[in-house]
Amino acid sequence: MSVTRRFVLRAAGALVGGAVALSAFAAHAEDTIKVGILHSLSGTMAISETTLKDVMLMLIDEQNKKGGLLGKKLEPVVVDPASNWPLFAEKARELISKDKVAVVFGCWTSVSRKSVLPVFKELDNILFYPVQYEGEESERNVFYTGAAPNQQAIPAVDYLMSADGGSVKRWVLEGTDYVYPRTTNKILEAYLKSKGVAPEDIMINYTPFGFSDWQTEVTKIKAFGSAGKKTAVVSTINGDANVPFYKELGNQGIKATDIPVVAFSVGEEELAGLDAKPLVGHLAAWNYFQTIDTPENKAEIEKWRAFTKNPKRTFNDPMEAHYIGFNMWVKAVEKAGTTDPDKVIDAMIGVAVPNLTGGIATMMPNHHITKPVYIGEIQSNGLINTVWQTPGTVVAQEWSPYLEGSRDLISDWRHPMNCGNFNVKTGKCGG
Amino acid sequence: MMPLPRLDRLGVAFLIITIGAAALAPILALVVPHDSAFAMPPYVVALLGKYMCYAILAVALDLVWGYCGILSLGHSAFFALGGYAMGMYLMRQIGARGVYANPVLPDFMVFLNWKELPVAWWGFHSFAYASLMVMLVPGLLAFAFGWFAFRSRVTGVYLSIITQAMTYALKLAFFRNDFGFGGNNGLTDFKDILGFNVQSDATRAALFSLSALALALSYLISRAIVVSKYGKAVIAIRDAESRVRFLGYRVENYKLFIFVVSAVMAGVAGALYVPQVGIINPSEFDPGNSIEAVIWVAVGGRGTLVGAALGAVAVNFAKTYFTGVFPEYWLYALGGLFVLVTLFLPKGLIGLLNLRRPARPTPPTPTPTPSLAQQEEGAR
Amino acid sequence: MPLARLVAVLFFLCCTTVARADAVDDALAKFFDDKFPRTEQAINELAATGAANAPAILDALGDNRLLIDQADHIIVYKTTGDDLINAKTGEKLDGVDAGAFKKVRINNALRSAIEAAMGALTLANPDPQKRAGAAEAVFETRDASALKALEAQLSHESDPHVAELLRQARAAIVVLDSKTPTADRVAAVATLKARGDQDSQSLIDQVANQSDDPAVKAAALDAKAAIKAHLAWLSVLQNLIYGISAASVLLLAAIGLAITFGVMGVINMAHGEMVMLGAYTTFVVQSALPPSLLQWSLAVALPLAFLVSAIVGVAIERLVIRFLYGRPLETLLATWGVSLILQQAVRSLFGANNRQVSAPNFMSGSFDWAGLQITTGRLWIVALAILVFVALQLALRATPFGLRMRAVTQNRRMAAAMGISTGRIDMLAFALGSGVAGVAGVALSQIDNVSPNLGQGYIIDSFMVVVLGGVGNLWGTLLGATVLGVANKLLEPVIGAVLGKILLLVFIILFIQKRPRGLFALKGRAVEA
Repeated sequence: MSVTRRFVLRAAGALVGGAVALSAFAAHAEDTIKVGILHSLSGTMAISETTLKDVMLMLIDEQNKKGGLLGKKLEPVVVDPASNWPLFAEKARELISKDKVAVVFGCWTSVSRKSVLPVFKELDNILFYPVQYEGEESERNVFYTGAAPNQQAIPAVDYLMSADGGSVKRWVLEGTDYVYPRTTNKILEAYLKSKGVAPEDIMINYTPFGFSDWQTEVTKIKAFGSAGKKTAVVSTINGDANVPFYKELGNQGIKATDIPVVAFSVGEEELAGLDAKPLVGHLAAWNYFQTIDTPENKAEIEKWRAFTKNPKRTFNDPMEAHYIGFNMWVKAVEKAGTTDPDKVIDAMIGVAVPNLTGGIATMMPNHHITKPVYIGEIQSNGLINTVWQTPGTVVAQEWSPYLEGSRDLISDWRHPMNCGNFNVKTGKCGG
Repeated sequence: MMPLPRLDRLGVAFLIITIGAAALAPILALVVPHDSAFAMPPYVVALLGKYMCYAILAVALDLVWGYCGILSLGHSAFFALGGYAMGMYLMRQIGARGVYANPVLPDFMVFLNWKELPVAWWGFHSFAYASLMVMLVPGLLAFAFGWFAFRSRVTGVYLSIITQAMTYALKLAFFRNDFGFGGNNGLTDFKDILGFNVQSDATRAALFSLSALALALSYLISRAIVVSKYGKAVIAIRDAESRVRFLGYRVENYKLFIFVVSAVMAGVAGALYVPQVGIINPSEFDPGNSIEAVIWVAVGGRGTLVGAALGAVAVNFAKTYFTGVFPEYWLYALGGLFVLVTLFLPKGLIGLLNLRRPARPTPPTPTPTPSLAQQEEGAR
Repeated sequence: MPLARLVAVLFFLCCTTVARADAVDDALAKFFDDKFPRTEQAINELAATGAANAPAILDALGDNRLLIDQADHIIVYKTTGDDLINAKTGEKLDGVDAGAFKKVRINNALRSAIEAAMGALTLANPDPQKRAGAAEAVFETRDASALKALEAQLSHESDPHVAELLRQARAAIVVLDSKTPTADRVAAVATLKARGDQDSQSLIDQVANQSDDPAVKAAALDAKAAIKAHLAWLSVLQNLIYGISAASVLLLAAIGLAITFGVMGVINMAHGEMVMLGAYTTFVVQSALPPSLLQWSLAVALPLAFLVSAIVGVAIERLVIRFLYGRPLETLLATWGVSLILQQAVRSLFGANNRQVSAPNFMSGSFDWAGLQITTGRLWIVALAILVFVALQLALRATPFGLRMRAVTQNRRMAAAMGISTGRIDMLAFALGSGVAGVAGVALSQIDNVSPNLGQGYIIDSFMVVVLGGVGNLWGTLLGATVLGVANKLLEPVIGAVLGKILLLVFIILFIQKRPRGLFALKGRAVEA
C-alpha cells in the first residue's frame, strides 16, 4: 500500500469539505412568503401536471398584484419531481426544509401523495391535493380539494340509473389497474348491488397503465352490452390510455345511444387530442366544466388565456380545485394572521370560497371540500355540455360507507376530536 | 474472516471517506447544534443516505459489467426486490397503527377487502426473516436466471435485453393489485424499524451510517473478488470469453457467481433505500432505472468500483440540483451529461484523476469490448 | 303499383297538410321550453305528424343544429351548409345572426328517441343507404309502431340488401310478439339465426326463455346453439385479426431498430423518439395544411416524417454514435441521453399535452366483413407495414446499397477490406432505420397519444421483437412481430392483458435460452458479437 499520510489527510479534507458544501445547500429564508409547487414537469405525468403548475403561477401572480398576503409578496418555488415517486418525497422535503415554504400545492397520482405524506406529517406543513381520488384517507396536513368517490362516481351512476340517463341495468366497470379504479370500483360494485343489480350484470375489468391496443377490450364490452339490457361503461381509465380507448370506441362504432361511457378523468383537456365526432353523447362526471356559464368562470378562463397567451387553452377540474384551494389558503392565512402551518391548519376548517361554477366550496372538518357534481355529455366540438347536476353541493365521504373496513370510520380535525380515522364503534381514534 | 484485499490509493481514500462519513454524520446531524455551519440538516442526511444506496447498486453493477462484461439491465429488479422485502417487514411493523387498526393486514389489503394475509407475506414480521429474504430473493432470482442464461451462452446485447425483459415482467406483475404487494401505490406509510421511529433524526443518521458502511463493505467484497485469482479469470472472460472457455475454464460458473453476488448486493442496497425514502413501488422495477444505474457506472468510470460509486453520487446530486434549480430544463442537462461523458470521458470521472498522474499504471481498462475481441478471434 | 303508391302519397300529403297547421306547430312549440321531457314529446309528436321537413328538423336536433329564439318565438335549423331555415315555414333566413339563437339541448335519451323516430320516418326514403340505416335503427329499437311502415316498405322493396335488413327488423319485432302466428315466429327465428350476430343472439335468448309456444321455443333453442357455435368461431378469427393488427404495429416500430441494430450492433435507445418525431411531423403537417387537403395529410406526412427522422438520425450518428464504434454497448448510454434530450425538446416545443391528429375520412370507422369487425384505420396500418417491409426487402436485396449493407452486417472488416466505406454505410443505415421509425410514427399517431412519451411505450416491445426475430434478417423481425402480436391478442381474452404480457416476456426469456441468437440467426464465424 503506497498510501502517504498526506494523501490520507487530503482524503479526510475532501470529506469535511463535502459535508460543508452540502450543509451550505440549505438556504436562508427571505422576506417573502414562499409557496411550493410540486408538480411533475417531465416524465409520464407531465402531460397532466404541467398545466397545474402554470395555473398556480397565475394565481400567485394575481395575488401579488392585489398586494400579496399579510403585507408580503408571495414567491412561487417550482421543482420538478419528474413523475418519480421517491423523488416526490425528496422534493417535498427540499421544499419544506430548504426553501421553507409555507404551503405546498401539488401531486396528481395517489402514489405521489402517499409518497410525500410522511414528509408532510414529519415536517408539519400543508399540502393541497387537487385531484379526484379514491378516498380512504384524511390527514391533518393535507387538504383534499378534489372529489372523493361519492362526489363523482356515485352521482354519475345514479344519473345513468335514472330515466334521463337511460335506465341502465347492466354495468361494465373498466379501469386501469391501480388503487383509484380498484377502490372506486369496489365502492360502485357494493353500491350497485345495494340498488338491486345482479352480480352477473356487473363486469369489472382492468388494464395496465398506458394501454394502447383496446381492440379486444372494446369487443368484450360490445359483447357484454348486447345481452338485451341497457348497458353503460363506467370508466376509471387513467389519462394516457384514454385517447386510444376512445379512438377504438369510435372505430368500432359504439355510440352513446347504445352503450354510454361515463368517465371520471376525461375533460376538455384530454378531448383536445381527439376527434370528438364519434364520441358525441359519451359522458363525463366532474365537479367543473369549462362550458358552465357563470360570469366568474368566464372571467377566470379569460385571465388564464391571457396569462398563457393562448386563446384556446382549456381550463379543467383539477385547475379549479387549485383555484379553490389557493383562495381558501389565502383566506385562512388572513384569518390566522400568520403563515405558520399549525395555525393555518386550524383556521382552514369552515373557510368558504366561491366555486367558479356557482355555489360555495366549504372546507369541512374532514379536510375535504363540498362540491357540486356535474354530468356532461361530449359534444361534436369536443366541449362538454352539462345535462345534469346535483341540486346543491355534496359533502365528501372520505371513508366510504360501502367498504367493509371503512364503514365505521369518520374524521374530524377540530378540537377536541382531532382525528382522521375515528372509529364510531370502538369509540377510539385510530381505526 | 476474509483477509483485507490489496488496495490502491483510490480504494484507501474511498474507504476513509465512506467510513469517515459513517462516523461523522451522526455527530454532525445530532450533536452539533442546528445553527452551526457544520450542522447537517436532516434533509441532507436523508438525501445522502439515498445516494449511498445508489452507490452500492452502482458498485454491484460495476462488478458484473465492469469486470465480467455482463451488461445487466435488470439490476433494478434485484434492487426493488430487496426493497420490497424490507418494505414488507416495515408494513408488518405498522401493526394496529394503520388507519383501519387491523393488527395483521396492511391498510391496502383492508380496503380492498382481503380477508387474510397472503402466503408470501408470512414471516415478514420478523426482522431476521426479512433480512434473509432481502438477500435470498434477489440471489435466487439471479441464480435461476443466470443458471439458464449463462449455460445457454446468451451474451452481449441479447443478455442485456432479456435482463430488461425480466425486470419489465416483474414491474408489470407488481403493478397488478391481485399480486398482493400494494399495486401501483406500493408499500408506504412506514412507522418504525426495529422499534425505532423511521422518521426520527437519530434513525435517519443511523440508517445513513449503515448505508455508508454497507457501501464500504460492498467495495471491499468486490475488490477482494476482482484482485483475487478468481477475479483474473473473470476479467479474462470479459475480454475474450471464448478463449477462456477453450482454456478449460467453466465460464458459466464464474459468471453465475459474480452475477449472484452482485444481485445480493443490489438487494441489500434496495433494503437500505426503502426506510430512507419511505416508499417502495413497482416503478423501481422500471428498465429505465436500470439504464440510469448503468449510466452512473459509466459516468464514474467503468471497471473501477470507486468510480461507480462516485458516478452514482455525482449523477444523483446533479439530478437533485437541476430538478430544483432548472425544473424545466434539467433533462437537457442530464441528457447532455450522458452524451458528453460517453463521448469524451470513456473512462469516466475517475479517468480524469488518472490523467493528472500519468506516471501511475492505469487500472484495468474496460476496452476492448467483447464484440471486437471476438471478431478478432473469428478472423483468426 | 305505381298508381297505388301515388295515391298513397297523395293521401298522405293531403291529410298531413290538414294536420300540419296545428300538430306541427304544437310539436315545435314544445322545443321552446328546452326541457328534456318536453323535447322528447316534441320529437314523438313531430314524427307522428309525418311532416315532410320532420327528418330535417330531427336530424338538426340530433346534431345540435336546432336553434330557438325564446323571446321572438322563432325556431330555425342550420343546414350542414350553414344556412338558417325557419322550421315552421321552411323559408331560408338571410342576414340573421345565428349567435342570437340558443341551441336546443339534448341528451342520450333524446338521441335514442330521435334515432327511433328517424327510423320510422326514413324507411321509405329513396336513398337505399338511408333505408338500410332506418331498418337497422328499427332492428335495434324494436319499435313495434314501425311494423306497418316496415311491412309496407318490404312489400315493394327493390334492393335485396335492404329487403334482407327489413326482414330482419320485422323478425326482431314479431319474434317476441306472442300474438303472431307460430309459423311466422319460427320463420322470424330462422331469419335471426341467419343474421347470426350478438344482437340476434340476445334476442333469441329472450325468445328461448320467454316463449310458451313449444315450436317457437324449439326453433329458438336450436338457433341459439347454432349462433353460439358461429360466434365462438368468429371470436377466434376476430382475435386473430386483432393479433395481426397488433403485429403490424410492432413490426413498424421494430423494423427500423432491426436495421440499426443488425448492421451496426448499436442499441439505439432513442429509436422510440424517432417514432415520436414521426408522429409530431404528422401533427405539424395537419396543422399546416388547409382543411380541404386534410384527406391527403397522411400521404404528405409519410415522406416528410421519413425525412425528419432520417435527418435527426443522421445528426445523431454523425455527432455521437460515429465516435463510439467499437464500443457498441456504450451507444446505449449515449442514445439514452439523446432520447432524454429529444423528449424534453418536443415537450418545450409542443407542450406536454397530447396533440390532436385526426384521421382522414377513408381511415376512420370500421366495416363488417362476414361478421368480422374490421377497423379501417388498422387495416391501413397493416397495409403500410407490409409495404414498408416489402420496400425494405427490395432495398436490401436489389440495390447496391443493400448489398453493401448486408456485407457490413455479415463481416464488417471483410467488407471494409473489399473497399466498402463502412462509415458511409453506417450513416445511411442509421438514416434508413430512423426514417422507417418516422414512418411508424405516422401510423401510431392514428391509434395512440401524440405526446412526448409516445416512443417510450414502444421501445421495450421493439427490442423484444428484434431479439426474438434475430439480427440481420428482416424475415426474423416479421416473424417475431407476428408471433408476439398474435400470441398477445389470443392470450388477452383468456387471461387478461397484463398477465398475457408477462407470460410473453417469460416466453422470450426462455426462448432466448434455446436460441441465443433469435429465430433467424446469422450463420458464420464473424458474427459472434
